[in-house]
Amino acid sequence: MIKIVLPSVWTGTGTTVFAGEEGPLYEVIKRFAAGNPQFGRRLIGPDGQPLTYLNLCVDDEMIPRHLRAHTEVEAGCTVTVISPMAGG
Amino acid sequence: MEPMVPIPGGPFDQGSPAWVLDWLDSQDQPLPRVWFGDEAPQVTRLVRPFRIDRCPVTNAQFAEFVAASGYRTDAEVRGVGMVYTDTGWQERDKVWWRAPGGPGTSITGYEQHPVVHMSFDDAGAYARWAGKRLPTESEWEYAARGPEFRIWPWGDTWDHRLANTAELHAGPLNSLEQWQQWWHSRYARNGPMPCTTPVGELPRRGRSSAGCADMAGNVYEWTSTLSQLYQEDAVCDPTVRQALGRYRVIRGGSWMNFRYQVRCSERMHGDPGGWSSFAHGFRCAKDL
Repeated sequence: MIKIVLPSVWTGTGTTVFAGEEGPLYEVIKRFAAGNPQFGRRLIGPDGQPLTYLNLCVDDEMIPRHLRAHTEVEAGCTVTVISPMAGG
Repeated sequence: MEPMVPIPGGPFDQGSPAWVLDWLDSQDQPLPRVWFGDEAPQVTRLVRPFRIDRCPVTNAQFAEFVAASGYRTDAEVRGVGMVYTDTGWQERDKVWWRAPGGPGTSITGYEQHPVVHMSFDDAGAYARWAGKRLPTESEWEYAARGPEFRIWPWGDTWDHRLANTAELHAGPLNSLEQWQQWWHSRYARNGPMPCTTPVGELPRRGRSSAGCADMAGNVYEWTSTLSQLYQEDAVCDPTVRQALGRYRVIRGGSWMNFRYQVRCSERMHGDPGGWSSFAHGFRCAKDL
């Protein structure tokens, strides 16, 4: 299992931490979006792939866009989704 | 061109006092307290004397820079820009400052509106060309409210006529649903054209005590400050915490926001890696 952290304003309830399944980073995001369709529009683009303008951290490391397709999220990790404009 | 405003500088308590977070909690607005947690507690800062643009940089000013330098913005080079559509944020092809709503739109008639689709580097490039720099976050807040705390540049009483927020266009807004209703109606008529207003156009009583215009709303404004908390153990949104040390502080809110996001002490944090949107601009500062 992994943790997926979303901006608190996305949820409307203040909840920010969700459970997810380990695996390739993009698959993690796609599976999470499929299981939580209320976030699908915010995470997945019209091409069915994770939106590239979002920033993704695995634990404390921000993963550059060109490395995301090759990044594996191991069990116990935390994936944080950061909007290009955070806060406010 | 509007002159720069001299700011005498001095010490002040940057950020929001606790009562502002309590007040936000008590208001009929949809955002959780943790979302505003990065703007507290207040911290004492000393601002040296400086000058700041009275207004955000306009399309006409940015066009002069591009004509002189041949500069190409990040959105132009990438070939995509970010707009808010009827389904949310989207990157669309050929959206940039000269076509702020995308192909078929232009800045003709918008020369005195603030330039948008400005990345952090775009703003810095213009500032250097103009012999200026971006303001620090502390300078920005001090110019917006002066040494004494106030919620908005003109005071603590909201007046929708004094700032270009969504409430200037739609009337009072208290929920995301109301905002979406307004935006969908607007989008159906105009597509994703930004709802900016000419800089300095709104009533003068909405300016800061120093005389700066458009400090509340119109466009989000980049500052030079690397995002950090005022106090390490402040309770804030966990995604904001991950942006610390990576993003740059953005101030002022924009035409997209409610009254609560255009407060003088409101903080946002932007990805400085070439990203921008149809609501992002800037103003410049200079040492005295």
